[in-house]
Amino acid sequence: MRAFIFTLASLLALFIFSGSALAQADQEPLSYFRSDAFNAPLLADWQDQSGADFAQFHQAEAQATIRTAMVENEEPVAAAQAELKRAFGIAPAPPIYQDKVNLADGTWQVLLYEPDAVVSASVMARRAGARTVVISFVEADPAARALMLTIAQGGDPREDAATEMAGALSLLAPASAVDWSGASALALPSGQWTRVAGAGWLALGMAFGNDSFIALGEGETSMLPALADAYNSTVLGFFITPDNSAYLALALAASLGILALLILSFVWRARLIQQDLRLIESLSQADE
Amino acid sequence: MTAKTKNLSLLRTVEATPMPNLLKALTLLSLVGFCCTLALALFFAGTDIQQGEIQRIFYIHMPSFFGAFTAFGLTVLGGILYLWRKSEQWDRIALAGVEVGLAFALINLVTGAIWARPIWNTWWTWDPRLTSAAIMALTYAAYLMLRAGIEDEARKRSFMSVYGIFAFTSVLVTLFIIRVVPETIHPVIVGASPQNAQGGFEATSGVVIALLPSLLLWLTLMPITMIWHRSRLERRLEAVNRLKIQMLME
Repeated sequence: MRAFIFTLASLLALFIFSGSALAQADQEPLSYFRSDAFNAPLLADWQDQSGADFAQFHQAEAQATIRTAMVENEEPVAAAQAELKRAFGIAPAPPIYQDKVNLADGTWQVLLYEPDAVVSASVMARRAGARTVVISFVEADPAARALMLTIAQGGDPREDAATEMAGALSLLAPASAVDWSGASALALPSGQWTRVAGAGWLALGMAFGNDSFIALGEGETSMLPALADAYNSTVLGFFITPDNSAYLALALAASLGILALLILSFVWRARLIQQDLRLIESLSQADE
Repeated sequence: MTAKTKNLSLLRTVEATPMPNLLKALTLLSLVGFCCTLALALFFAGTDIQQGEIQRIFYIHMPSFFGAFTAFGLTVLGGILYLWRKSEQWDRIALAGVEVGLAFALINLVTGAIWARPIWNTWWTWDPRLTSAAIMALTYAAYLMLRAGIEDEARKRSFMSVYGIFAFTSVLVTLFIIRVVPETIHPVIVGASPQNAQGGFEATSGVVIALLPSLLLWLTLMPITMIWHRSRLERRLEAVNRLKIQMLME
């Protein structure tokens, strides 16, 4: 009985200890915005304007906003336009750039919008079930222009994004000739970027897997590396928690099933012993 | 008193012996503990945002291996003590350890395979850890088959004691292989992990503490309780079998 009480008390103490530790763990700072629909990295030094179902971070100096949201529309381009209208008041308009890119988590639509001379919006959108996830980068600094693109590399993967950067530079007005001899490496938290600058413009590019991430800036471009780094971190860091609860149910059923089989085999063998014992006793009585 | 009467009397004594209070308490504690740790894993521990709900099977997968470790460890102990003392009680513990340990090892293998399907996109891969765990389970399955194939009781007990002791090397290999062989994709939760381990997660204090009660339950209460039940059952089986042989000889 003393052993029983001791074991019970130990188990109780363990559960209390576990509960308090779990409560402590809940207080640990999270590096992710988490919602039922998706997870997105928190951007340090950006103003967090997130709501319950969208992640939004604002950089006041650059007048830039990065927003991630799930839109109730399964068509990516329409979802992107709806999201720009709803979140930023940008009226639907034809994109100045549109292409598709395959990332590890699916096929994304890459869209660039410039509704007026001040605002530019770089959007990536992909279907997630019956909905669409939209990651928007909107910049509204009158003194600057910033565009973010993700472009699939043609052919074998390369370690630099020069080809895609050269192609994307045509988006800058006027289209600029690139002096690659002045290209330099730029280390950002998101990785090693290539930096090319011209008269009044700056281009940053980073190769990652089969894709190149490009940031283009005109006018005031001092904030462009920080903006590119934040947008790239969001695009690569975004993920949806998979719904695999059916596998959990299967694994639990299998575990309980194996345990139940073991215990049932004990019970079955005990019953057989009882039957044998009754038979032996009846035979013994018959002998006597 | 004839041998048959003596055996029948022994069997009646065994049958009439009530379950010890400690075993009753351990059984109740195991049952309550199992429900509590399951509730802790399913409802209190946080959801892994990268792996999703399937990560919760970790609270059974890992402890079940350590439950098998305890059970197979008791087989080694039972084997050594049988060879030393020649007491059948130790051989019964060794056998019970194999049966219970094999069930736990199967739980470990099956839950691992089900976890791997959504995380690694395959039910099975010939990874060093998975292969050694499968070999471990097969080694102990062979123990039961071999035991059933030897008729001479004394020879069977001695041979299986030696087998049980040496079979434990497969448990140790399974335990340490991911720390020795770098070509593994099996996650290492505690301690340093090889660079190419995949599907792992950072064991935060929340995860570790949610795991601790489950680990203690599977490591101690569950194997000890089940082995105790199984060895009592084996004692009764042996008594009945002796009686049957006695009757056949008459």
